[in-house]
Amino acid sequence: MTNYEFHCKTKLILSYKYWRSKAYLKGREKSLDRYCQNANVFLRMKKYTTLIKAFWQRALHYRFTVFAYRVGEVAEVLILILMWTTIYAGQSSIKGFTLQEMITYILIGNVFNGIVRNWLSGMVASDINEGRLSMFLVKPMSYLSYVCTKEIGRITLPVLMSVLSQILVILCFSNTFIWNLDWGYVLVISAMIGLAFISELLLSYLVGLVAFWTDEVDGLYTTMERIKKFFSGGYFPLTLLPAVFVQISFFLPFAYSFFIPAQIYLKKMDLSVGVYGLGVQVVWIAILYGVIRIVWRRGLRRYEATGI
Amino acid sequence: MSIIEVKNLSKNYEYYRKEKGIKGSLKSFFYREKLLASAIKDISFSIGEGELVGFLGPNGAGKTTTLKILSGILYPSAGEATVLGFTPSRREATYQKQFSLVMGQKNQLISNLPAMESFIINKEIYGISDSEFKKTLDELVGLFNIGSFLDISVKKLSLGQRMKCELVAALLHKPKVFFLDEPTIGLDVVAQKNIRDFLKTYNEEKKTTIILTSHYMEDIRELCQRVIIINLGVIAYDGRLDDLIKQYVRHKLLTVTFSGKGILRRDIEKFGEIEDFSANSCTIKTSRSDAKSVAVALLSSSLPVDDITIGEESLDDVIRHIFGEGR
Ligand SMILES: Nc1ncnc2c1ncn2[C@@H]1O[C@H](COP(=O)(O)OP(=O)(O)O)[C@@H](O)[C@H]1O
Ligand SMILES: [Mg+2]
Repeated sequence: MTNYEFHCKTKLILSYKYWRSKAYLKGREKSLDRYCQNANVFLRMKKYTTLIKAFWQRALHYRFTVFAYRVGEVAEVLILILMWTTIYAGQSSIKGFTLQEMITYILIGNVFNGIVRNWLSGMVASDINEGRLSMFLVKPMSYLSYVCTKEIGRITLPVLMSVLSQILVILCFSNTFIWNLDWGYVLVISAMIGLAFISELLLSYLVGLVAFWTDEVDGLYTTMERIKKFFSGGYFPLTLLPAVFVQISFFLPFAYSFFIPAQIYLKKMDLSVGVYGLGVQVVWIAILYGVIRIVWRRGLRRYEATGI
Repeated sequence: MSIIEVKNLSKNYEYYRKEKGIKGSLKSFFYREKLLASAIKDISFSIGEGELVGFLGPNGAGKTTTLKILSGILYPSAGEATVLGFTPSRREATYQKQFSLVMGQKNQLISNLPAMESFIINKEIYGISDSEFKKTLDELVGLFNIGSFLDISVKKLSLGQRMKCELVAALLHKPKVFFLDEPTIGLDVVAQKNIRDFLKTYNEEKKTTIILTSHYMEDIRELCQRVIIINLGVIAYDGRLDDLIKQYVRHKLLTVTFSGKGILRRDIEKFGEIEDFSANSCTIKTSRSDAKSVAVALLSSSLPVDDITIGEESLDDVIRHIFGEGR
């Protein structure tokens, strides 16, 4: 053993933190091993779970910001309720919506929307514009799966907090709120929200990819958000508009994150229509995925890895 | 056997010209003139297994562009590159598992997590087995002596510490080919030295093929036997560093110290070109062949010579000379 090696070794042994990190590693391995023993599928999943865990930790780091955002959300919901209560003064129903239904629509719709939301566009666009994408292009993992996994890890905490705070608001309005926990409805709505989450993720990703062609995606992104919010029924139930809007929205992916599941929840839309809607969602996911593949391939040809 | 083959490689970047002022801006709102900047022009070289080659060139020479093409980040505009038999721009996973890229100005570590988290993520991405991972990590951590800050958030580390972690993260999957783009940029002298020592040991032990770009002469001098000098997108020199010195270093520098009261400038002007002068010490530049005779002449003159050392013209000057020729 040379002097230098000896020096390194002793230093390592003395370094308490190093051992701590090793023990930490061991602990992780054990728990992962338990799940992953000779199951290849799980081994492939492992990189995703590892990523998600890492970003959970990061999200915890920003717990105050996460909390602060929720205050604004809750305030917005309360303002909407206040506004509708004022509008309804004296009237028992507007276009088939009672005040009680309207309040339920706002409350439950925001819970759904809270689950479905993501902030992927900005992340993808900045990865492209600032050249950070390069670091992924050299790794044996697709950027789409990386970034979606990262986003899932990143938003878990905000989404949980958002849903929790919305549920708290619901509890405050518990005598106005209409409860519907029939298992058939719960099932269809859950599937719808799950699919809406995927299609929203793909849509945001696609908008982010526009950064290959221009470094200004913010405007497009904001406009997209507004259109999405309108067609999702986030501003008000689409039934207040001429029937054609409801029909169009049924064939667009947006309404599945707010309006349609809320309508189903309120039993204003048949379960069978909901099941049909699931089909529409699956078709949209396939279309989005196909478009993404084409856009990605074209975009990479233009990619210039700027910023490094 | 050559691991890296580059044949007539060129890369053009597209950009737009914008005219000055508000009028120009308005004009470019409707029409923008597309221009091409050629970053590398028709370059060819080949690198064998286990070589540690230095890529040397001033800013904007095309070093980074070349490395980006070799790692599959950019498509070449013309010509072809092959690494380990793969075409990098196809980005095949089998290729990606066999090489690594580290850029001094970009990091792959997740900035507000401990480096260990990023290591574990890489372990999963590259499909490294638990035992392999532990072994490699222990080895790299030992070589770098970084055990004490593996669980500190990366953004709280110094630049040097971070670069060490970057290197570890990049080497966990034991790449056969390793591209390093200015790994020592912005580091202090000690950290630079640490990184150089590490790379040297690593290359000797693992026989990894390494391309290192830098504009610090010291990096290249200490690490590389072969150097490729690139300037304005073309290769100005490709060969052994020793030969470069032989070929281009046409001068020697004599540093002479004088005792007592020293001397006057005009006393020594006849011996050669004076690079540096003070009463008690001066540096004289002579041609390679004249160095000895000038030294003898100095010693046998009546000047109060105390000591003479004969040294090479600095490599930096040589490089500057080559860069100058390219323009
Ligand atoms: N995205 C880009 N668009 C236009 N020109 C670029 C771009 N990236 C690099 N260049 C130009 O290409 C040349 C080579 O750049 P680079 O490979 O980064 O040089 P080096 O790494 O040797 O400093 C430079 O002249 C630079 O201005
Ligand atoms: Mg560079």
